[in-house]
Amino acid sequence: MAAAAAGSLRRAGWRLWRGRAGLRCQLYPPQRALHASAVLRRASDEQKKEPLASSPQQQFDSPPTDPQPDHEPQGSRPSYTGQGGQESEDYESEEQLQHRILTAALEFVPEHGWTAEAIAEGAKTLGLSVAAAGMFHSDGSELILHFVSQCNTKLSDLLEQEQKLVQLGETEKKPTDQFLRDAVEARLRMLIPYIEKWPQAVSILLLPHNIPSSLNLLTSMIDDIWHYAGDQSTDFNWYTRRAVLTGIYNTTELVMMQDSSPDFEETWRFLENRIADAMNMGNTAKQVQSTGEALAQGLMGAAVTVSNAETNKAVRAELCSVPCLMLACLPS
Amino acid sequence: MAAAGLGPARLFLGRRRGAMRALLGLARGLASGPQTHFGFQNVSEEERREKIYQVFENVAEKYDVMNDSMTLGIHRVWKDILVHKMNPSPGTLLVDVAGGTGDIAFRFINYVHSIRERQLQQKLKRHQNLSWQEISKSYEEEKVKPLGDSQVVVCDINKEMLKVGKQRAQHLGYSEGLSWVLGNAEELPFDDDKFDVYTIAFGIRNVTRIDLALQEAYRVLKPGGRFLCLEFSHVSNPLLSRLYDLYSFQVIPVLGEIIAGDWKSYQYLVESIRRFPPQADGRT
Repeated sequence: MAAAAAGSLRRAGWRLWRGRAGLRCQLYPPQRALHASAVLRRASDEQKKEPLASSPQQQFDSPPTDPQPDHEPQGSRPSYTGQGGQESEDYESEEQLQHRILTAALEFVPEHGWTAEAIAEGAKTLGLSVAAAGMFHSDGSELILHFVSQCNTKLSDLLEQEQKLVQLGETEKKPTDQFLRDAVEARLRMLIPYIEKWPQAVSILLLPHNIPSSLNLLTSMIDDIWHYAGDQSTDFNWYTRRAVLTGIYNTTELVMMQDSSPDFEETWRFLENRIADAMNMGNTAKQVQSTGEALAQGLMGAAVTVSNAETNKAVRAELCSVPCLMLACLPS
Repeated sequence: MAAAGLGPARLFLGRRRGAMRALLGLARGLASGPQTHFGFQNVSEEERREKIYQVFENVAEKYDVMNDSMTLGIHRVWKDILVHKMNPSPGTLLVDVAGGTGDIAFRFINYVHSIRERQLQQKLKRHQNLSWQEISKSYEEEKVKPLGDSQVVVCDINKEMLKVGKQRAQHLGYSEGLSWVLGNAEELPFDDDKFDVYTIAFGIRNVTRIDLALQEAYRVLKPGGRFLCLEFSHVSNPLLSRLYDLYSFQVIPVLGEIIAGDWKSYQYLVESIRRFPPQADGRT
C-alpha cells in the first residue's frame, strides 16, 4: 500500500517541459528528443503553424546536440532541416538560444551572483521576457557550467595559438614548468572579473547533481594543458601527471579566492612553488630509486666479501695443516 | 491512504517559443453545429459553453470548500508547486486564465512579495556604510513598491467566480497588483506580447476549443514568456485507477450534493476529467 502510494505520488508529480536536456532529463528520453525542437525568431512569426507541425520531424533530422556545454561548438552555423523550405535563414535552435541568454547573463553576475535573477536580467537585455529564466535550473548551475566551458575553450584557443607560433619558429618552446605555470595562470586570470562570487560558484558545482559535468570539464581542461605541453606518455605517467596538475590547479584556485594582494601576486607565487615541488618530486623519485639501487649493490658486495673471507679462512687453515703434517713426517 | 486515489495533477511547462501544438481537436470543425462533449454527453459547442457557465455559476460560492473536500486539501500543494516552478521575479506580469477565485494569483503575490523583501535586504547588506537617510529611503521604496512592479491579471469567463474571487481578495487583504477581468480564454481581451507568464490551473478542460485557447496564450505572451498548465490527468496503475473511479463516481457527486446542493455539477466535473486527453497528447 505504501509502495502504491509512493508510486502514485511519483506519477502525481510533474513532467517538466524543460528547454534543455542535461542530467535531469535522462529519466525521460522521448521528451529530450522533442526538446531539440525549433525555436522561431520573431521575423518568421507568420509561419507559426507549419514549423510547429514540422518540429517532431526535426528531432530525427538534426543530430541530437550533446547536452554537455563543453561540446557545444562555438559559433556553429545553425542547421535547419528542409521541411518544405519553411524554415527561414535565421532559424535558431533552442540550445543556441540558451547559449545566447547565458552569455548575456554573465555580465549581471557580479551584481546578482550566479542565480536565476542574473539569467532573467540577461534574458531581458536580449529582448525576451524575464520568464525565460524558467528554462534553466533555479540554482544557476547552467550559468556556471556555461562560463566554465567558455573559459576552457578560450584557454584551448590560446594554447593552440602559442603552439602555432612555436611551430612557425617565431617563439621558443617553453620548458615544461614554465608552460604549465603560464597556462594555469592564464586560466585563473579569467576568473578575476567574477572572483567575488566565485566561492558561490564552486559550492554550486560541488552539488551532487552537478559533479559529473563539472568533473568532466575540469579533466578535459587539464588534459588539454598537458597535451599542449607536449605530453605523450602512454604508461602510468599519464595519470600521475594529470592528477598532479589537477591538484595544483584546485589548490591555486582556492588560494586565489582569499588572496587580497595586488594583482594576485601571492597566488602566482604559490603556483610557482607548487609546480617546482611537482618537478622536484619527479627528480626525488629518481633519486630514491638510484639510492635504493646503490644501497642494494653495496649490500651485495658486502655479502660477497664476507663469503669470500670465510672461504679464505678455511683454505688458509687447510694450508697451515699440510706443512705440520710434512714436518711431522721428516724426522723418521 | 485515501490520498492515493486522488487524481494526479500534472504540470505542463511550455514556452512561447517552444513547440506548442493544438491538443487533439475535441471539436473537428464541422460545417454546422460542431458536436463536442459535456461530460459523457454529446452536445453542440454553444450548448457546452452555456452548460459549463451554469455549472460554475452554481458552484461558485462553494468552490473552495468543494476543492478542499474533493482533493483532501492536496490541491493547495499542487498550486504551491505550480508557483514554485514558475519562480517569478519581481517585475513579472502574470495572467491567470480561468483563475476564478484567485488561488494562483494570491500565491503569486505572496511569492513575489517575499522575493522582493529578500532583494531589498540583500541590497542593504551590500552597502555596509549607509547613512540613516539612505536606509529610511529604502524603507520608503519598500512601502511604495512592495511587489516591485509585478502585476497579476485574473481572467475568467464567469462573473460569479470573479465575484467570489474579489470578495476573497478583500477578505484576505490583497489589493496591490491585482486586476480582475472578465474574458473568454478562446478570445482574450488583451494586446499581443503583454505577459511574461500565462497560467491556467484546472481550467483548460472546461474550454470548448482548446486550440483557440492555446493560440491566444501564444499571442498574449511575450517572446520568451512561459505557459504553465495545471490539470488532472489519467492514472495508469490499474489498481489505483479502480479506486480512483470508485472515489470519483461514488463519493464526489455525493459530497457535491451534501455541501453544495448540486449533484449534477460534480457529476460533470468528474466526467470532464475522464474526457480530457491524457498526458501524452498534451506533450505533442
